Amino acid sequence: MIYLDHAAATPVSDKVFEAMKPYFLHDFFNPSAAYLPAKKVAADYETAKGVIAHAIGAKASDLVITAGATEANNLAFSAIVTEDIFCSGPRPAGPSPRAAGANSRAAALRNAPSQNISSVLYLETEHDSVRKVAEQYGGEAVKVLPSGVIDLDDLKAKITDETQLISVSLANNELGTIQPLAEISGIIREIKIDRLRRGIKTQLLLHSDASQALNLLDINVARLGVDLLTLNSAKVYGPKGVGALYVSHDARLKPVIYGGGQENGLRSGTENVPSVIGFAKAVELAKEHLNGNRKKYASWRKILLAELQGYELINKKRSLDNFVVLCYNGMDAERLVFLLEEKGVYVSTGAACAASKGVKSHVLKAIGLSDAEIAGSLRLTLGETNDEAQIHEAARIINKVVTQEKERLDNER
Amino acid sequence: MNDNSSAGVTDLEGVPHRIYEVGEEKVRQDPRHNKKVFVGMSGGVDSSVSALLLVQQGYDVTGVYMKNWSRDLPGMKCPWAEDLADAKRVAVKLGIPFEVWDFEKDYREKVVEYMLREFKAGNTPNPDIMCNQEIKFKLFYEKAMERGADFIATGHYAGTGVAENGRSKGLRSAAARGRAPAARGDGPAGRGPRATVSDRTPVLLRAVDENKDQTYFLYRISDEALAHTIFPIGEMMKPDVKKLAEKHGLHNAHKKESMGVCFVGEVGMKDFLKEYIDTRPGEIREIETEKVLGFHEGAVFYTVGQRHGLYISGVKGEINDGLPYYVVSKDLKKNIVYVSKNLNDKHIWTKELKLRDIVMRTKFEACPAWGRVARSRRHGARALILALPRSGIPQAGTLPQILVRLRHRAPLIPAKLVDDTLYFEQEIKRPAAGQSAVFYDGEVCLGGGIIL
Repeated sequence: MIYLDHAAATPVSDKVFEAMKPYFLHDFFNPSAAYLPAKKVAADYETAKGVIAHAIGAKASDLVITAGATEANNLAFSAIVTEDIFCSGPRPAGPSPRAAGANSRAAALRNAPSQNISSVLYLETEHDSVRKVAEQYGGEAVKVLPSGVIDLDDLKAKITDETQLISVSLANNELGTIQPLAEISGIIREIKIDRLRRGIKTQLLLHSDASQALNLLDINVARLGVDLLTLNSAKVYGPKGVGALYVSHDARLKPVIYGGGQENGLRSGTENVPSVIGFAKAVELAKEHLNGNRKKYASWRKILLAELQGYELINKKRSLDNFVVLCYNGMDAERLVFLLEEKGVYVSTGAACAASKGVKSHVLKAIGLSDAEIAGSLRLTLGETNDEAQIHEAARIINKVVTQEKERLDNER
Repeated sequence: MNDNSSAGVTDLEGVPHRIYEVGEEKVRQDPRHNKKVFVGMSGGVDSSVSALLLVQQGYDVTGVYMKNWSRDLPGMKCPWAEDLADAKRVAVKLGIPFEVWDFEKDYREKVVEYMLREFKAGNTPNPDIMCNQEIKFKLFYEKAMERGADFIATGHYAGTGVAENGRSKGLRSAAARGRAPAARGDGPAGRGPRATVSDRTPVLLRAVDENKDQTYFLYRISDEALAHTIFPIGEMMKPDVKKLAEKHGLHNAHKKESMGVCFVGEVGMKDFLKEYIDTRPGEIREIETEKVLGFHEGAVFYTVGQRHGLYISGVKGEINDGLPYYVVSKDLKKNIVYVSKNLNDKHIWTKELKLRDIVMRTKFEACPAWGRVARSRRHGARALILALPRSGIPQAGTLPQILVRLRHRAPLIPAKLVDDTLYFEQEIKRPAAGQSAVFYDGEVCLGGGIIL
C-alpha cells in the first residue's frame, strides 16, 4: 500500500498509541471525581492541554477541547452576537439538526440568527465545517486569487461596520495553500482602531482553521494575530474525534453543548482523557520533527513533479510542502482514483467529504478551474507513512494508470 | 395433442437471437456482438453483474448512473453519492465508460408528484412501477437511443422474449435433445380472429429466480422500450449473481440490497410523507360501532389492511383482548380511519377487484393463447422465442384463467379478467387501492392494472 491521502486521515503513531493506552486501562477515572487517582488524571489532562497550547504559543486555559475540528469551527462562530428577532425565549443553540424538509427548513429559518446583516466573512475556499456554519449566520464569501490566496482587496471591500467575525483557514484542505494570516490580522487591527475612533464597539474577530497546518507550519497565535484557532488531532497522527479551539481573551463564546460545565463551561461532557493525551503526544512529536519533515516532504514533492507525466500542477504557490495537486486534462480523476486503488495506491480527488457528496469541488472552482479541469484533478498528500522509494513507485504506477486510461479514451473515440 | 402443441413450437436454430453463454468468459459469436448498450448501474450487485455480463458477451457497454433523487431526509442521508461511487468503481474495473444522467427534475415531476397526488387521494401508489414506466424505460431509454444505443439494459430480474405470429417451426430440436420446454404457457386455445400483431412482438417474461422476479414493477413499460431491453441477469439465480460478482472481484458483491422505495429508504414512507403532505390529526373509529378508539396523525398515512402503528389506547376488558385491529377503510373527507378486529370484515375480503388504467402488454387486445415458452437451461439461458398458436386469440375483453400477482413476490392467484374487473375463485385479502394487479399466463407477463 502506498498511502497518499494524509490530508484526509493519518494513522496514530506508535508513540501516541503507547501514551494513550494507560488512560484507557488504568487511569480511566473521571477527572472531576474527588479521589486522588482521579485528581492525578485531571492533572495529566491539564498538562496535556498545556502541551497542545504551548505548541501554538498559548496557555492551557486558552483551549477548549472539542470532539474534532468541525465542532471547534462551530463553536468559534458562537462568538457572534446576535439579536433574536424571530423567537421569544432563549435562542436555540445553533442550527436545527433536522436541516432538511419543509417543516425543518422553516425551523432552521427561525433558528438562523440575523438574516439581514452579514456579520460574518469567510474565505470562499473554506472547508464545509466553516462554510456551512457561516451560511447559518448569513455569511458572505471573500474571493481568492487564482493562486488560491485570499484576495485582500475583496476582503477590505467586504468588511463593514457590522462585520464581527472573519474566518480564513491557515492552510487550505484541498490545495494546501497557506493564507497570509498576519497580513489579514494587520488589516483587521487597522479597522478596529478606526472603529474605536468612531465610537463603534462592534467586535471584529479573526478565526482560522489550522487543521491541516499544525504539523507543517510553525504556528504562533500572537504572530498570526488570530482570536480563534481550530486545531485537529486526526490530521497530525493523533486520534480522531478530538480537536481544540484556541480562544483569545477578546472572544466571548457561547456553549454549543450544555451539561456539566467542563472546558470552562463551553464544552460540557466528561473529558476525553486518552484522546487528549494522544493529541498532546502527537503535537509534541510534530513540533520535534517539524523542520525535518518539511524538508523531506518538499524533496518528495520535487521527485513527484519530476517523474510524473502529462499533468499540470495546480498548487504552485504558497503551498504546504506535502500537498501535490495535479490536473490531468481531459481525464476523469475519479476513474484514476479507482484504478490506483486496485494497484494499492490511495489518493483522492479533493476533500473526502466533498467527494462523498458527489459535488464538484468549490475550492477548485473558486481558483478558476473549468469543470473539465476540476474533473481531472487529483490530490496527493504526503506523510509519515511514506518513504522515498514509495514516492518513486507511486510516480511509476500513476504514470502507468494515466497511460492506460488515455488509451481507453482514445479507443472510445 | 391438438394442432396447438406443434404450432407453439419454434426451431431454436432459427432463432435470430442466439443463446449466449451466461456466466462464462467465453464469448460466443452473437448477432448482437459489438452492439451498443447503455446499462443502468445503481451501484448494487445486480446491475453491476449485468454490466459485467454484457462486457463478457462482447457488447459495447456504457454504464449510466441515473440520478433520480439526491435529497437527504430527516434522519437519513440519501446514499446516492455512495451508490454512484459504487457504480463507477465497477465501471472502472470493467474498463467501460461511465456517465451520470440527471433525471431528478423528471423524477420529481413524474414519480414523486404522482405518488403524493395518489396518497392525497387516499390511495397507496407504487412509485417504483411509475419510475420504470416514466424514467428507466422511457427517459433513460430515449436518451440512450438518441446516443446511438442498440439496447438498454438493467439489473432487473425479468426476461424478454419475442412472440411470433403464425410461425410454426418447432421447438423440436430443443425438445428432442431432451430439454423439456416449459409448458406452463399453454392456456386454452381460444377461437377467434387471428391476432393482429406484427410478426414479432416483445414479451415480458418472469425471471428464472421466482423469488426475485421483478416483473411486478415492469408491467407498464412500453413495448418499444422492451424490444430494446436486455435483462442480463434475468436468467440467473440471485446467489449465482453474488457468486459471479465475487469471482470477478466486484467490491459490492455483498452490498446490502436497498429495500422499499429507493428515495424513501429506511426512513419509511410515513416520515417521507410527513415532509410533503400537510395533515391533521383525526379519529380512529371502530367500523362496527363508530366508537372512537384513538387518534391518528393523518388519514393519508394509513393503508387498508395495515395492522401496525395504530395509536389505539386499550380500554380495559373491552378492547384489550389481545386481538389486533386492522385498518378497513378511511374517510378522507372526515379524516377518519376505520378499524376492525373482525378478520372477516367485508372490507378486508373480496372475490373481485375493479381496476383502472389497465395495460395490456404486447399489442394484443386480449390474451393470446400462448404457445410455449421455449426454455433451455443448457446455456443457462432461455431461448428468446414464444410462438403464437395459429388458432388466434380469444374473445376481446376477456382473459380466461390468468394468474394475478397483487404484490411484489406475492403468490400467483388464478383469476379471470372481464372488462376491467378481476374475478377470483376464492376470496382474497383486498389490496390497498392504488396498488397494482399484474397478470400472467405462465411465464408471460400479460399486463396489469391499478386497483380501485
